[in-house]
Amino acid sequence: MASETPSSGTWFGSAEKVGRLRGRIFKWTCLGATVLTLALMLVFLLYVANDAFRPFSADPGWLATMGLTVVVPIALLAGYYYRRDRSAGQVAYTALGLPVLVALASGGLWLLFRHIVSPREWFVLVVSIVVAGGLVVGHSRVRHDAVTERLVVTVLVPLLVVVGIPTVLPGLGQFLYLLPVLPNALFSLILGFVLPVAAIVGWRVRAVRDADRDGAIAAGITVAGGLAGLGLGPLVGIHPTSWFVFAAPIVGALVVYVEHVVRNDKGLSGLAFPVVVVAGVFAGLAVTQLLGFAGPDAWLNMDFLTSAHDTDPSEAGIYPTLVGSVLILLVIVLSAFPVGIGAAIYLEEYATSQGRFGTVMELIQVNIANLAGVPSIVYGVLGLAIFINLIGMGRGTAVVAGFTVGLLILPIVIISTQEAIRAVPDSHRQASYAMGATKWQTVRNVVLPESLAGIFTGTILALGRAIGETAPLLMIGIPATVRIAPDSFLSRTGAMPRQIFSWSTQITTEFRYGVLAAGVVTLLVVLLTMNAAAIVLRNRSQQTQ
Amino acid sequence: MTPTDPSPDRNQRRVATDGGVSTTDDAESTSDPTEADGDSEKLVDVSSSFTVSDDDEDRPQAAETAIETRDLDVYYGDEQALQSVSMEIPEKQVTALIGPSGCGKSTFLRCLNRMNDLIDIANVDGEVRFEGKNIYDEDVDPVALRRKIGMVFQQPNPFPKSIYDNVAFGLEVQDEAVTDETVRRALERAALLEEVDGRLDESGLELSGGQQQRLCIARAIAPDPEVILMDEPASALDPVATSKIEDLIADLSEEYTVIIVTHNMQQAARISDKTAVFLTGGELVEYDDTKDIFENPDNQRVEDYITGKFG
Amino acid sequence: MNGESALTRGATDRDVKERLVGVLLFACAALTIFVTASILFTLAYDTVTFFGFDETSVVGFLTELEWEPRNGFYGVWPLVSSTLIVTVVSALVAIPIGTAAAVYLSEYASPKMRSVIKPALEILAGIPTVVYGYLALVYLTPWLRSIGLPLGSFNLLSASIMVGILIVPMVSSLSEDAMSAVPDSLRQAGYGLGATKYEVSTRIVIPAAVSGVFSSYILALSRAIGETMIVVMAGGLQTNLFDPLDPFGSLAGSGRTMTAAMVNAVTSDATGGSPEYYSMFAIGLSLFAITFLMNLASNRIAARYREVYQ
Repeated sequence: MASETPSSGTWFGSAEKVGRLRGRIFKWTCLGATVLTLALMLVFLLYVANDAFRPFSADPGWLATMGLTVVVPIALLAGYYYRRDRSAGQVAYTALGLPVLVALASGGLWLLFRHIVSPREWFVLVVSIVVAGGLVVGHSRVRHDAVTERLVVTVLVPLLVVVGIPTVLPGLGQFLYLLPVLPNALFSLILGFVLPVAAIVGWRVRAVRDADRDGAIAAGITVAGGLAGLGLGPLVGIHPTSWFVFAAPIVGALVVYVEHVVRNDKGLSGLAFPVVVVAGVFAGLAVTQLLGFAGPDAWLNMDFLTSAHDTDPSEAGIYPTLVGSVLILLVIVLSAFPVGIGAAIYLEEYATSQGRFGTVMELIQVNIANLAGVPSIVYGVLGLAIFINLIGMGRGTAVVAGFTVGLLILPIVIISTQEAIRAVPDSHRQASYAMGATKWQTVRNVVLPESLAGIFTGTILALGRAIGETAPLLMIGIPATVRIAPDSFLSRTGAMPRQIFSWSTQITTEFRYGVLAAGVVTLLVVLLTMNAAAIVLRNRSQQTQ
Repeated sequence: MTPTDPSPDRNQRRVATDGGVSTTDDAESTSDPTEADGDSEKLVDVSSSFTVSDDDEDRPQAAETAIETRDLDVYYGDEQALQSVSMEIPEKQVTALIGPSGCGKSTFLRCLNRMNDLIDIANVDGEVRFEGKNIYDEDVDPVALRRKIGMVFQQPNPFPKSIYDNVAFGLEVQDEAVTDETVRRALERAALLEEVDGRLDESGLELSGGQQQRLCIARAIAPDPEVILMDEPASALDPVATSKIEDLIADLSEEYTVIIVTHNMQQAARISDKTAVFLTGGELVEYDDTKDIFENPDNQRVEDYITGKFG
Repeated sequence: MNGESALTRGATDRDVKERLVGVLLFACAALTIFVTASILFTLAYDTVTFFGFDETSVVGFLTELEWEPRNGFYGVWPLVSSTLIVTVVSALVAIPIGTAAAVYLSEYASPKMRSVIKPALEILAGIPTVVYGYLALVYLTPWLRSIGLPLGSFNLLSASIMVGILIVPMVSSLSEDAMSAVPDSLRQAGYGLGATKYEVSTRIVIPAAVSGVFSSYILALSRAIGETMIVVMAGGLQTNLFDPLDPFGSLAGSGRTMTAAMVNAVTSDATGGSPEYYSMFAIGLSLFAITFLMNLASNRIAARYREVYQ
């Protein structure tokens, strides 16, 4: 029946259109609920930023100038990247974000150098490590068959050289201190920091480009960037040693990244973005200075970041607690991460699922999942009971805080590392075993390199969680306020979230709406930068797969 | 429910044709100009390899067209999956679509109930006429269309609900009354009721593969569609379950138009009344009564395919 | 050639190293058991100490209706009731919003929308609880008061709402995983039967994902129960027993939850040795038991939904 006239038409025509209204309402309700919640939080955060920076207290002229030199170019470029050149956009944001991230890390290092490890001590430490490393490598070259011996050497020699045996044999460092000629702080940093950073950069570039010359050039640029501080530093009012700590890593990271972009030859124009931003900021500052526009009377300013708590809100600052937080993070990175990653490797690569041992492994796995759900305050109680009461460590020290919060994020580190390891295709492992590699060799050479990005992402996110945890700190006696930065891992220290909590108990408006806002913004900036880095890292690694 | 009856003298039987089928032949010859002269050359007698179903006496002699396609083109992005396919599919008969993998059979099937709409990169050109109306017209709601054209998939996909709720689902979404009657009738029609009677509230996932597929068939026929599309319904099943499905299909074609994609040529020969052969690139090469396709193919490529020279 | 060929395994140096590495890694994994054991042990041990005081008793702990350590009252019910209030209200916030977000992301969102909403929810999940508490105290409470609600400057309503927002990303991400895991063939079957997208989403996908969605609820609620900073900063430290005749009053006033009481025990003037100090262990044990059971239940339910698609 190939006729042209339609038959009774019981399934088409406007009357038969199946009602979609319900579905549409449903969809928009779902979207609306989600967007409303996100919008609510955004509004809150904007309020906080407003209270912390008080942009509207600035001269309108200031706002206009900075808007023209900074905001407008960024908006234009961002629009351009979105419309025309996505890959350039990616390069642009990474090129801007990478220095910011490295600067944050350098900031942490700077605090370390200022309070915990003097440049000289650092230099001595680096020399000791290099010597120990050399001895181990030398030994393995000379006697490369004796595996057990090498194991002993690898463990004992660094210990002996760096630490020494207390009261019996001093480490190398002690001998070095006896030398009449030890570099001063400046040279210590040059030799102990700038040069090693440059060496790492050079080595990486050489490996990636497979050319000694390129590696040397990269290292050279890094050194130059660092040493420029000798001349430029005093001009801008920054001490050369501070310049070293910031410039060397930033320049080095940029060198590695620019090389990567040039080699891939994609989105090169994006590299101009950070230049535009920085130039815009400087131009804006110069012009406003010239024209005499006053900037905003922000609560979050350099004074805030560099002073300690004070009962006078205009004098109060967050500095000592910043140092404290950095120390705590360092303890966590050195203790919880290796244990967590090690446990994850064991559970994924070594553990069997059969037999009695398999049930034990099952139990461990279930236990880890449950530990992830234990309230953070219970971990605080645990830290109090075990580290302070039982073992007798000091209350409120960076070590105790680090261990306690480290235990808290241990399950998270394990679970996310397990996921990253699981993502490595089994065929790669099989290929390695088929070539006669042992399990550890396979893990070290195949599994870990491939899962590194995922592990990094998971650990950065866990670290972000760790920075903000407050309840455990309350339980282990981190003090409400501290006036001076800690000078060792074993001294009483403050921490940023703890300080924020104690400020929230102050009822004066200046504290509640000013100082507190500034503190929260500081914490959030650190946190959001870390999270953003983790997310970007994860997206990039997913793309390449 | 007549079982297929291999008859030794099939060469003497002719499938009744009528004007509708002749029109198809004409359409066929325009789409395959090289074979305009028909079967003057008989190269190899392929009839011995296949058993053509013998119960055509039960068929209505004048077969009306259920679905007609005109110059149907489908593109997935830049790749063409169907090339100007025109055919008329008769009502209440089993039409089989055969051909090597990737030649557009499933794509064609999914055009008939506009399931290709769900794929973003699919572009459909041409007409598909159901009950005289082009289903790709603006005023056709695909959801309404799918209530008249049901579908059974290659992998059995019952919902994680009870057997009863699985069958009832189609009735519910089509705002039809859900009664024990209707559900049981559908299960009976799908030759499943006997095996599951009394445990209708058990989960559909607890059934065996063949039973699950029959459950899916029951689910598809419960809302009483006009056409049932089947995409390799038995390919995931064992031979015993497969033959049950094949018996079921023969039975179903008494009430519904059945269009079945299969890569199993023997199956097509066993159960279908008409067969369409799709070859590389989504080209409909030959479409004829099943007997003619398997015993007397017009096209050399079809013959090569059927005798196993390729594909 | 000696009897041991190069193919046999023995105590070669390489094997020693391998075994050593294995033992080291096993120790890392076994540490986790040690952590749980320590938690249980210390909590239990010091809970016993807590009940050893004159003012305290197990019966009193579980039945008395007042918690005021200064006056010697150690009944846990006011704490539990405040915790429950917070949990219930936060559930009322988080469950609808989180599920809606999950449905939208899983069934309706275009890739562009996903690329905006998912990261935004992740950022939300990364905000520390102390910031949420600050927002509740400094912004939400005044705002709620300004629209007419008669709330105290410390009130459980603000705290509960913020706890709810805190756990929305948990609900949405876990539920979305559950919904996305529903095989696409089920959706195809639904469309083939002439169902609209709404019907496919609500009658096929959500019922199929129900175990995973439920387990996400339980996990999120267990997080809400254990939440400390938000309730301490915004909910205040005054103990209040829930009054069924005045439900709004309980919300509008301050309330000390179990977690807040633990904080109190450690930051109060009490030195290590008073019953108040040890009360934190007893409360902590109860808290641990509750959250542990909830997490166990959640895992069981989630495991059941995983079975269905084997």
